[in-house]
Amino acid sequence: MRSANIVSGVILIVFGAAMLLVIIPAQIEEGPEGMMSPRLVPQMMMALIMGLSLLLVLSNLRAAPDPDAAPPFTRSELIASAALLGLFAVTVALFLTVGVLAASVVLIVGALLILGERRPVALVLMPLCLIGGAYLLFYRLLGTAIL
Amino acid sequence: MQDLIHGFADVLTVYTLAWICAGVTLGYVLGVLPGLGKATGVAVAIPLTFYLEPVAAIALLIGIAKGSAAGSAVSAILLNTPGEPSSAPTALDGYPMARQGKAQKALKMGLYASVIGDFLSTVLLICLAAPMARYALLIGPVELCAILVFSMTFIGGLSGRSLLKGLIAGAFGVFFATVGLETETFIPRLTFGLLDLDDGLPLVPIAIGMLAVAEMIVQAGNMRQLDRETEQIVDGTRPEDRVVLWSDWKRCFAPILRGTLIGSVVGILPGLGASVGSFLSYGATRRASDRPEEFGTGRIEGVAAAESADNAVVPASFVPLFALGIPGSVIAAILIAAFVLHGLTPGPRMFQEQPELVAAVYAAMLCASGILLFIGYTGQRIFARVATVPVRLIIPVVLFLCCIGAWMETGSIFAIYIMLAFTVLGILAKKLDFSFVTFLIGFVIGPSVELSFRQSLQILDHRWSNLTGHPIALVFIALTAVVLVALARGRSGGGAVGTVRDTGTTITKGRIS
Repeated sequence: MRSANIVSGVILIVFGAAMLLVIIPAQIEEGPEGMMSPRLVPQMMMALIMGLSLLLVLSNLRAAPDPDAAPPFTRSELIASAALLGLFAVTVALFLTVGVLAASVVLIVGALLILGERRPVALVLMPLCLIGGAYLLFYRLLGTAIL
Repeated sequence: MQDLIHGFADVLTVYTLAWICAGVTLGYVLGVLPGLGKATGVAVAIPLTFYLEPVAAIALLIGIAKGSAAGSAVSAILLNTPGEPSSAPTALDGYPMARQGKAQKALKMGLYASVIGDFLSTVLLICLAAPMARYALLIGPVELCAILVFSMTFIGGLSGRSLLKGLIAGAFGVFFATVGLETETFIPRLTFGLLDLDDGLPLVPIAIGMLAVAEMIVQAGNMRQLDRETEQIVDGTRPEDRVVLWSDWKRCFAPILRGTLIGSVVGILPGLGASVGSFLSYGATRRASDRPEEFGTGRIEGVAAAESADNAVVPASFVPLFALGIPGSVIAAILIAAFVLHGLTPGPRMFQEQPELVAAVYAAMLCASGILLFIGYTGQRIFARVATVPVRLIIPVVLFLCCIGAWMETGSIFAIYIMLAFTVLGILAKKLDFSFVTFLIGFVIGPSVELSFRQSLQILDHRWSNLTGHPIALVFIALTAVVLVALARGRSGGGAVGTVRDTGTTITKGRIS
């Protein structure tokens, strides 16, 4: 975790500097005369984050390295994150181009396949039950405009 | 008392009771499933309540919170994998009991201890919140600003393993709360020209992304280990191993009362959380025992102590929320959105402005305790089977429900984008140990922090020396400094840790004092 802390601390310092110097001035106007600037609280928070991140980096640089420390992410977690976030991207694209039904089916079946489910019964019944159940509960019973 | 009777009249209808039952059942199932829990359940269910009456909506969410706190013991006992981190000490003795064929006994005692702790803590909430709120009304913006800063520091320091990272997460929460139109000048802040951001970032998609979707994705990476655990459950054949005997009650009575007291005190203090309560209670019961060396080998008192404290924390954590409007836990922070949505703004004024609704909430909480006992007892075997459902079948269901929940918040795809963006942040926060609890609480109290800070500047005429006229604020500023120093020093020490298996995503090792 020591290396991860140093790297994340440095990234946060750079992020904070970019926010303070570029993005906040560009995205938030100065307020009218005599009133508290709308920039003040975002700037204070960014300055605080930068200061704390600097402390995080310094304290971890001073700490002794732990050779047995496990990395924060395992290989299987990275693969699962990439696969499921990719599935979400496909689902959103389908939602925008085809429709909600196709997106829902792809999300459920895609997740099942990514997670290793291969039984045809589960691959057919799961989307049917979930989409049907959501339709009955939200659209019919509660009268929600989810479609 | 009169209001409470009226509250029961509002709650004791088939409609409201049915929603409480639904909430408790749903919460129990979510609690049983490792990695999910009350915060996830409430975040996903908030959009469901848009179309319910206020009392039923709040009752449903409270039912989820209470059911989940109790249900998390099931997987802790059967799988040695707590449904929520706060049930980790339950597994220390519950899992050995299950391996000895006493799973039914452990599950029953866990349920009874949960219900007793929950009920007594709810009574404490009813007795304490209104009197505290009367004093809170005397607090001005300067004092409120100091209290909020103190709470953030306290929560930031205690909810993660690193004080610095906790404070960074809290500061990010306040920062993201500033997105949108500024309330005084109506100048857009960090909206990047997107009209969807003018009203600010919506809490529900953020909470769903950080809590539920991020958790599911990380669990997907640890799925095989969780599935292996489900294959090792054994059930006893002797009748006395399946029921709680009078001798068991005699051994557990004091631990349950002690756990309730510890859980209630921990719940009232912002930021400590149920995990601290349950570990403290477990440690106190072990120390009070005449045979402490037997703890960890299947002592039923260990289960009773941990579960009573775990469940006592939930109602007690509403005391600062109701009395001061300050959420002391992530569940309280998420519930603020639901309360406001249904016309109840948590804080000292709600006792004057909405006494009937407050009484109905209290009545719903008390009814939920009774329903928790009924559903937990009758559905115990079913819930135990839920714990054996493979993770690969659970994750797609949760992801689908998360999308519906986020979509319903705004009715646009933009909420899904927000959910996915905060999913990535949630994964990074979980794996790099930046407390998402502090982030969410910072996000929720961010507007109050800014408003009270703005008012304070005007009241103090931009001169810090004028703070001398506000002794309460000075006390809280001093307390903030003391807490910072104490926490910074305390972090250098270590502590014994429990030996419960990690769910793969959630910290389930707690310090035993």
